[in-house]
Amino acid sequence: MGTSRNVERRTILRVAGASAAAVGLGATAACGGDSGSGDGTVTLRYAWWGGEPRTIAIKKTIALFEKKYPKIKIKPEFTDYEAFWEKFQTQASGGNPPDVFQNAVGFLRKYDKRGVLLDLKTQADAGNLSLEGFRNGVLANGQVDGKQIGIPVGANTMALVIDLKAFKKAGVEAKFGWTWDEYFDALQTIQDKVKIAGDTGYFSIMYLYDLYLRQNGKAFFTDSDLGFTEDDLTQWWEDGYKRVRSGLVADPKKVEQVKPKSALSAGLAASEFTWDNFSIRYEGEGESDYGLAPIPTTDGKDTGQYLGSLMLSAFSGTKHPKEVAQFIDFMVHDPEAGKIMGYDRGILATTEQYDAFTPTDPNNKGVKAYEEEVAKAGVLGKITPHPSGADVIEAAFLRIGGEVAQGKTKPADAAKALFSEAKAAFAG
Amino acid sequence: MTLVKEAPVRPAGKRPAAPAAGRRGRRRENLAGYLFMSPWIAGFLLLTAGPMIASLYYAFTSYNLFTPPRWVGLDNFTTMFQDPRWQKSVEVTLKYVVVATPLKLLLALGVALLLAQKRRGQGLYRAAFYMPSLIGASVSVGFVWRALFSDDAVVDRTQKIFGFDVGGWIGNPDYVLYSLVALSIWQFGAPMVIFLAGLKQVPQELYEAAEVDGAGPLRRFWNITLPMISPVLFFNVLLESIHAFQVFGSAYVVSDTRCGPADATLVYTCYLYQKGFKEAQMGFASAMAWTLVIAVALVTAVLFWSQKKWVHYEEAAK
Repeated sequence: MGTSRNVERRTILRVAGASAAAVGLGATAACGGDSGSGDGTVTLRYAWWGGEPRTIAIKKTIALFEKKYPKIKIKPEFTDYEAFWEKFQTQASGGNPPDVFQNAVGFLRKYDKRGVLLDLKTQADAGNLSLEGFRNGVLANGQVDGKQIGIPVGANTMALVIDLKAFKKAGVEAKFGWTWDEYFDALQTIQDKVKIAGDTGYFSIMYLYDLYLRQNGKAFFTDSDLGFTEDDLTQWWEDGYKRVRSGLVADPKKVEQVKPKSALSAGLAASEFTWDNFSIRYEGEGESDYGLAPIPTTDGKDTGQYLGSLMLSAFSGTKHPKEVAQFIDFMVHDPEAGKIMGYDRGILATTEQYDAFTPTDPNNKGVKAYEEEVAKAGVLGKITPHPSGADVIEAAFLRIGGEVAQGKTKPADAAKALFSEAKAAFAG
Repeated sequence: MTLVKEAPVRPAGKRPAAPAAGRRGRRRENLAGYLFMSPWIAGFLLLTAGPMIASLYYAFTSYNLFTPPRWVGLDNFTTMFQDPRWQKSVEVTLKYVVVATPLKLLLALGVALLLAQKRRGQGLYRAAFYMPSLIGASVSVGFVWRALFSDDAVVDRTQKIFGFDVGGWIGNPDYVLYSLVALSIWQFGAPMVIFLAGLKQVPQELYEAAEVDGAGPLRRFWNITLPMISPVLFFNVLLESIHAFQVFGSAYVVSDTRCGPADATLVYTCYLYQKGFKEAQMGFASAMAWTLVIAVALVTAVLFWSQKKWVHYEEAAK
């Protein structure tokens, strides 16, 4: 059989460090379809990033899976976000990435372009994985050029997390459809009455700027490029810097030092834009009470929001595509697994899991209520898979935005720098 | 053992004519020697020489780890020299080397002078001062440093007592590099031990003679101690500057992996790491690595050249 020869050749190549060739071979192995040759157990490597609560929950779901599928063993690998992608890049280039791994929209095209991701449509056609029952069309998040290279495990959207006590004390109310002007007025009131900054530094968050652009008929990314101009960004950062200077936005020097804690939970500011499922962390970190508030708008209606999601993807060169598909199917459809995971990775993506889990704690309830409200408001747009290099650009946006906030780079120079770095990232 | 002993003894000219049996014996000994050395040789070839040659090749290619390297000639170097972040990283590194190295050596020498005197509990002092060098490179110390120099932490509060209110150093692009300098200085133990050894070598009779001539302590230090330990000083300057050029761990940890804020701690290796492992531009990263190698070699050469002017090797000293 071709299998053993493939393995042998791959081993030799790996030793020689001929990574590119290994990726090519990985593709042939996938085509060979040598799943479950019938000689007992199959072991799959499963990797994800995230904090401790997620790891505990995922390990429970793995245990459950292994009980239901005794012939498949799962070997977990986990780190934090930064380390995850550094490690993944090295593993993938050596032809040795995990069989199944957590993925996100910023990485889909990048690794699809490099031939690392398995098109799971073939497995769905073979009946090993169901693509039915996904809520609000989130399945589309994992599609690139007609291929299904990611299966969403949860859906989330951007939100404004607010310090409820501070907002109450200042007497401001965050309401659906409020405009940016109203938001900044609210920050001013908070500063006047509560004597803290209103926001933690909104202008270096790429995903928030994306929403702002969407509200104005643009988007951060097109299929292969940036969807805005240098002037747009200069304006955005100039406004941001002005607000740092006036104290509406928290002092970046202080924000930097409380990391990894958030500036919101450290009490440096009264609100912070982030993904709604991240909101759960603040309650544990901070002293105050926190709630979710709507994204400010340009026209009083459109927030520019969409449902993003974390996904599961598979390695194109996995030796066990069938088992991989079964595992993913279990992770996204099994009601028990959904109950264990809760909203850690966003609102559960499939109806089976969504119906199985009823949040009881105020945090998860809040996330659920928020997303239902957003969905009801009918503001949700569609997400586009980011071009290859998006991850590098997101990091650059955060870094350069930080330089602007620190007063180390002028907004116009900063915008120019981002465009030049983006060009290099797209080419890479 | 014999192998090592024999080598320098043999005259440079012809091999001494050995009887056939002796030659065979020596060959067998050599073979045994190489056999014992083979793990090191294999490790060197596979883990050091091989990757170095590969990286030299990659330095002239565009290589993203996935598609095969594409030859681009000197492109990486020209892009590098024009890259504002690369320039920034050079600037940050030079600043670090120039500030941290002399301060560290100064402190090491100062403490070594104190510890060279005979005192009770001398061993304890020496161990205590050396300790930070043992643990200094660890990640946990990086975290401790971050905690010490943060806003409203120990350093911040202390400096406020003296009327300096700059907030924490970690978040301040103008100060954060100096927290790294402080971390480097704190680990002065290794050069201190070397200085101590050097100080022990200075013949006591020189001091006695100087004292008889009426030379004060400062004069004795300047005219006797310093020239006598100048070879050791040279060694320390060399070693510490090379180390300083390669600083990475502390910058990476103290800045929470971002080498910031505002690229203020973007030391050379930190940028190299970001390029290679975050942005997958291995060609560029390799070009950076080789540029660093050449730069360090140049600095070393300059130091060696300068030693003629200030390093004093006493002919008679053993």
